[in-house]
Parts: sequence; C-alpha cells; structure tokens
Amino acid sequence: MLSPKDSPLGKLLRQYVTVRIIRMDAIDIGLFEHDRNNTIYFYILNADEQIYLRYGGRDNASPDTYLNLDSLTLAAAKGLELHANRPPAPPRPKPDFPKNYPLLVERTFARNQCVECHLIGDYQNLHRQLDGTLDKMTHLYRSPDLKRVGIFLDVPQGLVIKEATGAAAAAGVQPGDRIAQWAGKVVWTFADVQHRFNETPRKAREAHLTVERGGKMVEVTMALPPQWWWSETKFRQSSVEPRFYFDDRPLTAAEKQELGLPAEGFASRVKYVSSTARTMELHGLQEDDVIAAIDGKRVDPDAHTASLYLILRKTPGDAATLEVLRGGKRIEMPLKTMQMSFRK
Amino acid sequence: MRVLLLLMGLTAMAAAQDDDIVWLDNYAEAVKTAKATGKPIFLEFRCEP
Repeated sequence: MLSPKDSPLGKLLRQYVTVRIIRMDAIDIGLFEHDRNNTIYFYILNADEQIYLRYGGRDNASPDTYLNLDSLTLAAAKGLELHANRPPAPPRPKPDFPKNYPLLVERTFARNQCVECHLIGDYQNLHRQLDGTLDKMTHLYRSPDLKRVGIFLDVPQGLVIKEATGAAAAAGVQPGDRIAQWAGKVVWTFADVQHRFNETPRKAREAHLTVERGGKMVEVTMALPPQWWWSETKFRQSSVEPRFYFDDRPLTAAEKQELGLPAEGFASRVKYVSSTARTMELHGLQEDDVIAAIDGKRVDPDAHTASLYLILRKTPGDAATLEVLRGGKRIEMPLKTMQMSFRK
Repeated sequence: MRVLLLLMGLTAMAAAQDDDIVWLDNYAEAVKTAKATGKPIFLEFRCEP
C-alpha cells in the first residue's frame, strides 16, 4: 500500500525539515526562480539556503509529464547525500520579492488576494514590457522542451535517457546515458536540467552537456536546431502575448516551393480557428488557409510560422494585414489581436 | 495529471498519517528549524488558488 509512513519516500522525508508554501508573498523569488506555470515544484536546500537540487518541471502536454514517485524518491535520497557532503555553494542570486512589482501589489496584496505563482510570472513580464526589457523568446518561451532537441527521458529513473533522436542523436547521445552536467553545471533532476536549459541564450546554436556512460563521463556538444526554444504556450496565462485564436503549422519545403514562397519564410497553414476569433471579429481565417505574409513580410530570423511571427513581433491589441492563399486566390485580410485578461 | 494528484495527495497524507513528518507552512520557521536540527529542508511550492 502506498503510504508515506512505510514508503521509501516517507522514510527519506523524515530526515528533512518539510515545508509547504502556498502563498508567495514573502518568498525570495530571486532565490527560488522557476517557471511559475508549474503546479507543484520542490527544492532541497540547507539552512544557509544553498539549493542542492530542484524537482518538478513540465511540458506543454501535461503538468505531470516529468513528475514521478520513483524519481522524487531518487531526488530525496540524493538531497540527503549532498547535505552530508556539502558541495561548494554557488553565489546567491540577487534577492527579489513579489512586493517589488507594483502592478502585482496593486492587484493582489492591495486587494488581499492570493499571490499566485502564475500571477508572479505574468506581472514580471508586464513590468519587463513596460521597462523595455521583455525578451519574448526568453520570457514567453520559458522552459524549453528537451524533446525538441531529441532527448526523451526514462522519467522514473531521473536523468537516464530512454531515447535520443534529432539533435541529440546527431551529437552522439545514446539511450542509457545519464545527463550529469548541462552547460558545465551539475544536474541531478529533470528540473535541474530544464532550469539550466532555460538559461541558454536563445540565439545560441550549441549546447554543451556531459553524460555518464558505462561509468565514464563523456562530453557532448549538441548543435541546436532552429527554434529549439519554441514550445506551445497555450497552457500559459500570459497577458503580454497577443491572442488571435488560430493554430497553424509550418509549410513543408515542398509546399513552399509549389506555392512559390521562400524556403526560409514563415508561411504556414491554418489548422484550427476558434469561434472566439469570429465572435470578437479578429480575422476571417479558415482552416486550410495559407498565411503567406504578414504586413508584407515573408521571412523572419526567429519565426517558423505566422503565429510565432505574430507573438514575437506584435503586442496585444496590435493589428496586422495578412496575405492569405485560399483556393488558388490571394486575399488581403485584416487581423486584430487581443490581450488576455484574467482576475485583474 | 494523475501523477500530479498522487504527489499532492502523498504529501498531504504524510501530514495526516505520520507523526514524524510535520509539514510546516512558514519558510522562515523551516530555516530556523533546519539550523537547530542540522537537517536539510524539503521545500514544496504548491499552487492552491
């Protein structure tokens, strides 16, 4: 029977001071810096606030893709081992607190409402937008997905790789390898890796990792594919992301050639249009339309689809003109974007 | 989602069933207890709107 009292995890937890935080008001979010769109996230640290490891993380498919009782037990055991050996402490990050964000204060503290994790993330981005430091590729596309570079983990076993494809396979990563370091930093859990992967500058073209293979450490340099940082953002409640209520997919090279569109362009085919787009009169797109250009532009160094172009280059409320191919005809179509509003 | 609920339930059960595991709800108190006992801290952030 699963019981903390009798389970391996329960025995390990008894050796810790356990604390559960559900209000972020007084928490140093500079020290505990993680993707605020995680429903649950763990840290193991000491009384000097030296973080040994993190546990948690998610992908766009589910909040619990990388959560597992076995890997949490491994992490709890590793935490005790690290506490006994005391690795050197890295420099402490600059302290930061929710109260440093006036818009967050105005709309939570001042109304005696809960400072929810995802609100912290969104208001940080709103402030970045106001002071001109918002970098959408970094701040909207948090927590790049390891699967995007072809790394599929054996989740119960922590950082053991189950399957390597794409960029990872091309770099020599093999099934059975255990990720030991990412960008020169020791990692013990998926959350550690995701945290370090997220620190990678979005213009980077390489990632450096060390894997343990057959008891030996092997250095790997992995060439990062275009848009390696991209992930689905639908689960994120972001009010700095323009909303336009359609989904698309990049055209294939053959489709672009057939339509006479540039191979490096962001032309895409519409897969789905929400009824919200019609209700709010945002645009007249239909499924199977091809968006060939936006405001006369067909190519962008960072976008591989029209929707990504809109997210990166437009702010909520902006308008644009689409060049749409439908049934052999070329249509010029206006598009409006919206701002998401929730509990504000 | 099932694993997430399991983990959340697991830690909640720990508080209910096991007298040896006490879940504090105050971070500063956890640090103080860790200093006094020499134990490491197992910190959980949970979204409960």
